[in-house]
Amino acid sequence: MSTSIRIENLDVNFDGRFDLKEVNWTIEPNQHWVVTGTNGSGKSALAAVLAGFGDTLNGTVEGVPSRVGLVSFEAQAELIKQELKKDDADILDVISEGTPVREMIFEYCEDQLLAAELVEKFGLSPLLDRAFRKLSTGESRKMMLVRALANHPELLILDEPFDGLDSDTLVMLQNHLASIIETTPMILVLNRFDEMPDFITHVAYMEKVGNDEGRLAFQVDRSDESAYAELYQLLHLKTTDLEVPAADPANPLPKLNPNDPLVKLTDITIKYSDAVIVDEFNWTIHPGQHWQLSGPNGSGKTGVLSLITGDHPQCYVNDIFVFGYQRGNGESIWQIKQFIGYVSTALQWEYRVSISCKNVIISGFFDSIGMYTKSTDNQKMIADQWLALLGMQDRADVPFNKLSYGDQRLLLIARAMVKHPPLLILDEPCLGLDDMNRQLVLALIEKICEGNETTVLYVNHHAEDQIKGIENFMAMRKRQR
Amino acid sequence: MANYFNTLPLREQLAELAKCRFMDMSEFADGVEALKGKKMVVIGCGAQGLNQGLNLRDSGLDVSYALRPEAIAEKRQSWKNATDNGFKVGTYEELIPTADVVLNLTPDKQHTAVVNAVMPLMKEGACLSYSHGFNIVEEGIQIRDDLTVIMVAPKCPGSEVRAEYVRGFGVPTLIAVHEDNDPKGEGLALAKAYAVGTGGHKAGVLMSSFIAEVKSDLMGEQTILCGMLQTGSILCFDKMVEEGIDAGYASKLIQYGWETITEALKYGGVTNMLDRLSNPAKIKCFDLAEELKVIMRPLYNKHQDDIINGTFSRVMMEDWANDDANLLKWRAETAETNFEKNPAGDVEISEQEYFDKGILMVAMVKAGVELAFETMTAAGIIAESAYYESLHETPLIANTIARKKLYEMNATISDTAEYGCYLYNHACVPLLGDFMKGIKSDVIGKGLELDDNGVDNARLIEVNAALRAHPVEAIGSVLRGHMADMKKIV
Repeated sequence: MSTSIRIENLDVNFDGRFDLKEVNWTIEPNQHWVVTGTNGSGKSALAAVLAGFGDTLNGTVEGVPSRVGLVSFEAQAELIKQELKKDDADILDVISEGTPVREMIFEYCEDQLLAAELVEKFGLSPLLDRAFRKLSTGESRKMMLVRALANHPELLILDEPFDGLDSDTLVMLQNHLASIIETTPMILVLNRFDEMPDFITHVAYMEKVGNDEGRLAFQVDRSDESAYAELYQLLHLKTTDLEVPAADPANPLPKLNPNDPLVKLTDITIKYSDAVIVDEFNWTIHPGQHWQLSGPNGSGKTGVLSLITGDHPQCYVNDIFVFGYQRGNGESIWQIKQFIGYVSTALQWEYRVSISCKNVIISGFFDSIGMYTKSTDNQKMIADQWLALLGMQDRADVPFNKLSYGDQRLLLIARAMVKHPPLLILDEPCLGLDDMNRQLVLALIEKICEGNETTVLYVNHHAEDQIKGIENFMAMRKRQR
Repeated sequence: MANYFNTLPLREQLAELAKCRFMDMSEFADGVEALKGKKMVVIGCGAQGLNQGLNLRDSGLDVSYALRPEAIAEKRQSWKNATDNGFKVGTYEELIPTADVVLNLTPDKQHTAVVNAVMPLMKEGACLSYSHGFNIVEEGIQIRDDLTVIMVAPKCPGSEVRAEYVRGFGVPTLIAVHEDNDPKGEGLALAKAYAVGTGGHKAGVLMSSFIAEVKSDLMGEQTILCGMLQTGSILCFDKMVEEGIDAGYASKLIQYGWETITEALKYGGVTNMLDRLSNPAKIKCFDLAEELKVIMRPLYNKHQDDIINGTFSRVMMEDWANDDANLLKWRAETAETNFEKNPAGDVEISEQEYFDKGILMVAMVKAGVELAFETMTAAGIIAESAYYESLHETPLIANTIARKKLYEMNATISDTAEYGCYLYNHACVPLLGDFMKGIKSDVIGKGLELDDNGVDNARLIEVNAALRAHPVEAIGSVLRGHMADMKKIV
């Protein structure tokens, strides 16, 4: 391939079922890409576009070479379908054995020598005389690989090529791919980062939009280490079957009466000697009712939240019922805070103590900023599970302040969740985060909303950061002064 | 009123001075129980009053503020502080009779007036709490026999008391019970519960006595903590300018230098602070400090003697009676010093440079810490107390100079400390006159600038051994170990 492939503003439809929207992508001749993303985000579709599939609705695809090698489940299925058609078309009253593998390979490939070598390497020699359609899925996948490789394609597209290969074959294939990188640009569709060959130079990340639409969300140069690490985490969060680690069984939270509201604010007022911030505000939050709280700056969102958390001194002069306590009757704020997980930009600013990443998570058991109490082995183990879930297990002992802003935020969310609080308050959790980190945070919160232990109170004013599962909305207005 | 300390027999004076014990966490197992449901009324809504009150209330205790009628009527700052934070506010007459514990968190010089106003209103068997013992020990005020008198003194500014509590921690706190006023034997239980309520138990509590607290606190603040830093700032600045060093640079080297070098002190004592110097600079610094100690020892002894026998408090109280004439005059004079008037220049000074070019400042801190410690322990104050009131608090005071020079330091510390600081400064500046004549920019401002860092092995070994053998280092490593255990639990 001597010129670059340019895809501009491309909208493609696949059989009326799936759309790729607004794809902009340039592949230079010396690049090797991995396309990755969640299930249903259109990874395979994007790769297939390069092989000429899909109906273009808008935009252009230029510079795709004429000889493209494509190995994918779809292409495999297509080939099998053609074979079956041949069978149907057979007018002779004999049972067709179908096309033998030998014919499928050697009548298709230009480089017969290479084809023979690969047949040997893939262990297909004993199968050469078998009918193609009698092959197992794995065997036919190997045959497809041989056909594609032995044809010296100008662009090689391999969709999940390593799936279902035994380890010897996998190593062999990877070595072979590594040996042709100088001559053959490659696009690999992969679900897992750990399968990514060293020669890959770029990663394209696909994102699902709605049920049947995908977009190319991020393109990362692999030499950009921090962007690459974030992408790794994002993919990890999106594609692993996340299981939120259990709470600490040795230190269960006191049971709450399920019939009581979690929070009941009655005629709340926040006022200073010179100003009224919130006036006559009422709000009841029942268990399981996820809320989104919005309002402009200065409307008192943070004030109301801090009345709930007990951080606002005027919580003692308002009618506040939280977690079974009518405030101002001798309860301590630690008795209140034990039921709350809390994340905000302000918390991140305040979290300026010297502490390891792992201890940041453990500090959530104690509602403290920093660690001042001995943690149990169990709590340490749970923290390790959270680190693994975040894809940060290698950073357990790294000082918290050495982390990127986005990673710090993820850890603080884990800290807030670690005890499975009845109420999780997320005060603009995406504020100040770049697009990738925002995706990460939202992915984590969605996982949390899926469980039924925790009621989420989500504060934001970015419409695009909506979270699945939140159905109650509270809008605060700025007071007229 | 007679000086209470002076009324005691020597035997009891020594016993009281020697009280100071680092308490075990297990002694706080009862939490705030002893204060639960009791009415706590705070007098004074400044930084200590407000922030201690916020902590106590957040620990589930019942806190309100008694203010003078004028403060309420005119909506003064103290009234605003209390009401904006949702506290109940009332006059002495309204609140004190209902109080189980009255927290006197006003400045020293108001104590007598406050206590005289409050005592008749307090109900039988209630508790009066101080966070500084001056009024009891130096002024010898007599408290009604039925009242319990305790002291709970967080060893940090009020803002820190609050900030650490909110993090889930606390600040080191000193508690004491006035033995003459513990009719029901509940003083210690109340003081412990109070320390838990402010979060102090998490950071470490020292059980001391009113006398040990007052006599060591006064000594520390007058000499090494404030006095030495003020004198050192003035002398070092003038010397650098005299030696032709840029005034902006000199100002910055001093303003931020104290903070930087005492940070090393905080982590590893005098030894670590001197270990930050090159070998030749360390030996030079050691020699300077030895010289300073010889010159200044009589001054430290005089301060300690005046504190122990009550001369200091008597003279200061005369100034109180004279509308603070001396205090205000000296405050104005401090504002007129060259160091104070020359702002820090816009120059980069690296952390190490503060040591390399501030050898004399390091020597002054070393000499001051060791002298204060030696003088206090020689006067019968136990090493634990002496450590806290000398080495431990030096970095805290140095931080205030970094913020806004001597003005900030003197504004932050109590009037009592400020008064003592000026007394020290007035004596120490002339005392060091001849010594300073021999000082050149190699030890302040420029650094040694040697081509060869070689030193004599035997001399270096001698210096290192002497540094490490000082008793302030022995007790320091034990107490810093306790604190590190509390702070760095993993």
